[in-house]
Amino acid sequence: MNAPTTPSLAQDMRLALLRSDPALSHFDPLPRIIANDSFANGHCGWSQLIGNYQGDLDTMLPGYAQHSSAMLSTLSHWDSGSHGGMNSSYALKIATKPVAGARNVAIKRHTFRKRGPIRLEAYVTFKPEANELKLSETDVRSFGFLFDLQGGDQDGDAMRVMPHLRFLNAENGVHTQKWQFKQQTSDIKPMGADDKIVSHDHLNPNDWQDLPGGEQRLCYNEIPTKVNWTYLCFDFDLKTMKATGFRCNDRVFDLSGFESIKMPAMKNLWCMLNICLFAETDTNKRAFLYVDSVCLSGDF
Amino acid sequence: MLPENITAIVTRNETWTGTTASEPFEAGWAKEAVFFVRALKEPSGTPGKGSVEISPDGIHWIAEGTEFTLPAARDAIAVARITHFGNWLRVRAQLDDGAHCTVLVTLHLKA
Repeated sequence: MNAPTTPSLAQDMRLALLRSDPALSHFDPLPRIIANDSFANGHCGWSQLIGNYQGDLDTMLPGYAQHSSAMLSTLSHWDSGSHGGMNSSYALKIATKPVAGARNVAIKRHTFRKRGPIRLEAYVTFKPEANELKLSETDVRSFGFLFDLQGGDQDGDAMRVMPHLRFLNAENGVHTQKWQFKQQTSDIKPMGADDKIVSHDHLNPNDWQDLPGGEQRLCYNEIPTKVNWTYLCFDFDLKTMKATGFRCNDRVFDLSGFESIKMPAMKNLWCMLNICLFAETDTNKRAFLYVDSVCLSGDF
Repeated sequence: MLPENITAIVTRNETWTGTTASEPFEAGWAKEAVFFVRALKEPSGTPGKGSVEISPDGIHWIAEGTEFTLPAARDAIAVARITHFGNWLRVRAQLDDGAHCTVLVTLHLKA
């Protein structure tokens, strides 16, 4: 008779398999991998975040109207050629327009099976367009990520919950370098007259708050065409709808002061689990967020 | 694995006047590209000239050689097919003084 597999043995085996798999060993996923996106394999379902509209594209809120499609990039530079990604030639590139304050957002849309812990991990880097022969370290305003979540249709406590975190690299030329979150979205505006579609610009520039203890100096490197990949890990519990952990490289941040944007549940978004990645520019120069790989995992 | 292809919306509901261009797009993984330019509203004035541009770096641009006429009516579509472009692509447009065209620029890329 075979001895039953003990939980610790199963965990050890799982960890050994993860650590020996080059495609996963740079992540620390929870037991179920929902998506493991390496952009050498294509766009992996990441598309542009388009704003809501009805009847006419002119009804789209301006914050969304500026968005465009993300692209597969080799981080091609005028002086040194292609930089490439961590494990392949390619990364996903989210590029703003060359207008101070402009932003662009890529999104991947899921639903969840169970309200439990989820983890978002990614390797990213950011740079401005290298069109000046100077460091340009304050040209990118920020990069960041968010979840867009809503409970199931039978959940009595269902809310729409949107945890946001951004690295405010610079603002109005000041090299601030700190993590921020936000609890407020914009006014919710109807699109059209029949009360079916609404829109709100949750990434509007207002209402960002400093994460307590959230100052961090990242590796930017010495000229605009040298990049280094940065590790992000964000934990969220869908059961309590609370953020439970955030790590960036060697720093683990206290989220006791963190809160999400919350609003009443919307009528078509049950079990929604969306991820957004975004970039903002501080100057009239394009800001680029490059994403080497993303892993979304859960414990269910 | 099936070959990658993507439909990218590089310009949406923007009104082009004078000399303008779509945002730079990296497409080095693709062997073929097709730009579609659709007029979302009734254009005004003489239809402008469109052309495809390529670039060594996404900063400096040069004509690829493909040229087309911008759409002359609402929902009309102009098209440009490109098969040899390196990495960077964009569409350039030139319209006469007073002319304008509100466009949707769709880029199809195929490995």
